[in-house]
Amino acid sequence: MKIAFLGLGIMGRPMALNLIKGGHAVTVWARRAESMAPLLAAGAVAAASQVEAARGQDLVISMVADAPDVAEVMRAVAQGAQPGLVAVDMSTIAPAAARKIGEELAAAGVDFVDAPVSGGEVGAIAGMLAIMAGGSEAAFARAKPAFECLGKNVVHVGASGAGQVTKAANQIVTGMGVLAVAEAFAFASKNGVEVGKVREALLGGFAYSKILENHGQRMLDRNFKPGFKSWMHEKDLNIVMQTAHELGLCLPGSAATAQMFNAMVGSGLGEEDSIAVLKLLESLSGQA
Amino acid sequence: MRVGFIGLGVMGRPMALHLQKAGHELFVWARRPVSVAGLPATVCATPAELGRCCAVVFTVITSSADVEGVALGADGLIDGLAPGSVLVDCSTIAPDAARRIAGRLREKGIHMLDAPVSGGAQGAIDATLAIMAGGEAAVLERVRPLLECLGKRIVHIGPNGAGQVAKACNQMIMVAAIQAVAEAMHLAAAAGVEAGKVKAALAGGSAASRVLEVMGERMVSGDYAAGIEARLHHKDFGLVLEAARQSGVPVPLTAVVGQQLNSLMAQGWGRDDTASLRRVLQLKS
Repeated sequence: MKIAFLGLGIMGRPMALNLIKGGHAVTVWARRAESMAPLLAAGAVAAASQVEAARGQDLVISMVADAPDVAEVMRAVAQGAQPGLVAVDMSTIAPAAARKIGEELAAAGVDFVDAPVSGGEVGAIAGMLAIMAGGSEAAFARAKPAFECLGKNVVHVGASGAGQVTKAANQIVTGMGVLAVAEAFAFASKNGVEVGKVREALLGGFAYSKILENHGQRMLDRNFKPGFKSWMHEKDLNIVMQTAHELGLCLPGSAATAQMFNAMVGSGLGEEDSIAVLKLLESLSGQA
Repeated sequence: MRVGFIGLGVMGRPMALHLQKAGHELFVWARRPVSVAGLPATVCATPAELGRCCAVVFTVITSSADVEGVALGADGLIDGLAPGSVLVDCSTIAPDAARRIAGRLREKGIHMLDAPVSGGAQGAIDATLAIMAGGEAAVLERVRPLLECLGKRIVHIGPNGAGQVAKACNQMIMVAAIQAVAEAMHLAAAAGVEAGKVKAALAGGSAASRVLEVMGERMVSGDYAAGIEARLHHKDFGLVLEAARQSGVPVPLTAVVGQQLNSLMAQGWGRDDTASLRRVLQLKS
């Protein structure tokens, strides 16, 4: 399949590489030449602009930071699109923003799929992302061969926006999950109990989770290198809270968690992994 | 003086009438003509036309986008107001929106004050509003005689946007206090104690407050007709939480109270008084 990939950051670069490995003809564009270099070395073709990148493709995939970036990319894609093009955005943005972009693309004759991912940089490199997609049955079917190069757990959740709703739900669980593990560790530690043993014991029971296992281990190692930067988790929780505000939805746990991430960004922990919430907890309890 | 007024709702109408009664000539514009019916004022066709008639214009509108539209949009005030004239925006909007609007007007030599108010409909009727102003001090002094027709406490907080920051702080304290009173009344009733007696006793002590007095009474009597429509507090909490986010400041209590407001909205109580936070506590799954 002919695929254009726009947005070659921490996530986008390994994803585009996996598409090339999967045998697809990949075209890339990036503002900075050095972002494109590893892709070109692997056989990708460079386009002169985003509009040019979209020309003659079967599929265009974007992986950028925020809703305004997605809107900008997709406006360019609409200009370069041929009839029947499917545009896929794998960034994490608000469901309402995704629906709006989908409508705009539909007006230009382009099918849109919102397909955010979970699994982080490690999952992107390994081609093991969880992909949660929203859009028409037909558009999802067209994009599926590409998804299968990027992840193992690919679910078509529902209509346009459903992928982003799912991702927001994912961020509720992971945001509160990281905070829950950090609080449990701070609790054990302040009680003078060895945290590593607590983790080991909990892994065998109902508190088991991937977060307890992986993030918990990194908390023990005090390895706060991202991973998933806490400012990005804060951004995603803001999507959750704004959507809750618009819908009249009561989410007290998410609200409290969002404030912890807000405090992390404000206290200079934004560039560290979201497990650095442990440091914030420790300083709040005089353990720092 | 010729004074313009846009936003003739529950707050704006009594405020405009105070200015008119103080001897000022009133010019008004409204999206819906019915809003200006019966006012002793000259009705203008557009905000721009109103701007051409007046040296000072007041706005009291609900959202940041609406204020931006009236001030900067097509046929907006910016097209009519002369250099040196003043826009006094008494709406509650985002601080960064206030700064943005002030900046655009400044390019044309037009002054702006963000001057949100606290005191509710009763405060507007009684001309006892608290007014918190952001903008140049000299501009505030020029319009102070007009503001004195509307309120007793007029404080210059700082440059543009500062008034809106103060208003955000006001809303945080006020709605959190409403939630605290609601929880206290709810606990008292659940424990089989008469909530009205608790409220009466508390009014004499350290927990005494205007919120306990006014909202507490509504909760005790079960009279949830607005006062202040809860949907406006809900809107303001969106602004407060966004401002906190932009500053990287944790506001844990405000965030949780915001969720209670979301629940209130889901019940369809947005046009009732914010005292309805007690009713949220009474919801059963």
